[in-house]
Amino acid sequence: MVRAYSQEHTYKHPWERVTAASWRKFSDPENKRTLSHILEVDTLSHKLEPDSGKLHTTRALTIHAPGPWFVRKIIGQDMCHCVESTVVDAQSRSMQLTTRNISLQKFIEVEEKIRYDPHPDNPNGWTVCRQETSISIKPFSKLASMAGKIEQKCVEKFQHNSVKGREVMERICKYLEAESSGGISV
Amino acid sequence: MGIMGDKNRPSSSATSPCANFRTAYHNCFNRWYSDKFLKGQWDKMECVSEWDKYRECLSKHLDDKHLSRFLDADGVMDFNNPAQFKSASGVS
Repeated sequence: MVRAYSQEHTYKHPWERVTAASWRKFSDPENKRTLSHILEVDTLSHKLEPDSGKLHTTRALTIHAPGPWFVRKIIGQDMCHCVESTVVDAQSRSMQLTTRNISLQKFIEVEEKIRYDPHPDNPNGWTVCRQETSISIKPFSKLASMAGKIEQKCVEKFQHNSVKGREVMERICKYLEAESSGGISV
Repeated sequence: MGIMGDKNRPSSSATSPCANFRTAYHNCFNRWYSDKFLKGQWDKMECVSEWDKYRECLSKHLDDKHLSRFLDADGVMDFNNPAQFKSASGVS
């Protein structure tokens, strides 16, 4: 069974500033407290296409994902490892991130896609963020009998984390805006 | 939640062995991204020496089970130089 949901949010900041904020989301100490479920983020690779202005990046995310004790007994651990692949197209002004788990794949498949594009109503001033998440418990795994309940819990958790993520993004955008009006950058 | 509490939570990323190199690389990347890439200067990436030091540190710590998991995942990596990331067990 696959549970999927999508969300959309408008940042009243230009696309350049929002994407710059996205890169800083996990590294600022203040933000680390808000996004405390993200334990480690490492960049694994990057590739720039000089002709097209496309930047491809892969990052490794280690996430603290505790479940109730009976789930932990089955899975045996609290941590989930994910890979985030990002493409930023500076020419067409779009950024896409795809994050999926690479551990616990016997039990669960999670994929989250996020896109940042200039907002159609205000392409130079606002950015629209569209997020799609799908969660699926593997049908023959030991969690299958509780699949519906676990998927629902995951959806609630992810939505809760998305709210925190947006708070962090708004905070960084305001900071970058203040920096730029002080004549520095972005 | 539950009786486990926070006592068993893994340590923060501040204790990662490559944290300093990572921070240096990310700071350089953020500057390049905003000052150059977003302004149309996408002919080359900068921060080469920060990236090299960071990668060298990561390659030394592949035996840390967290990092080797990412290497084992199929079709995930796009390494520029896979040979740099050979672990002790020979996984490349």
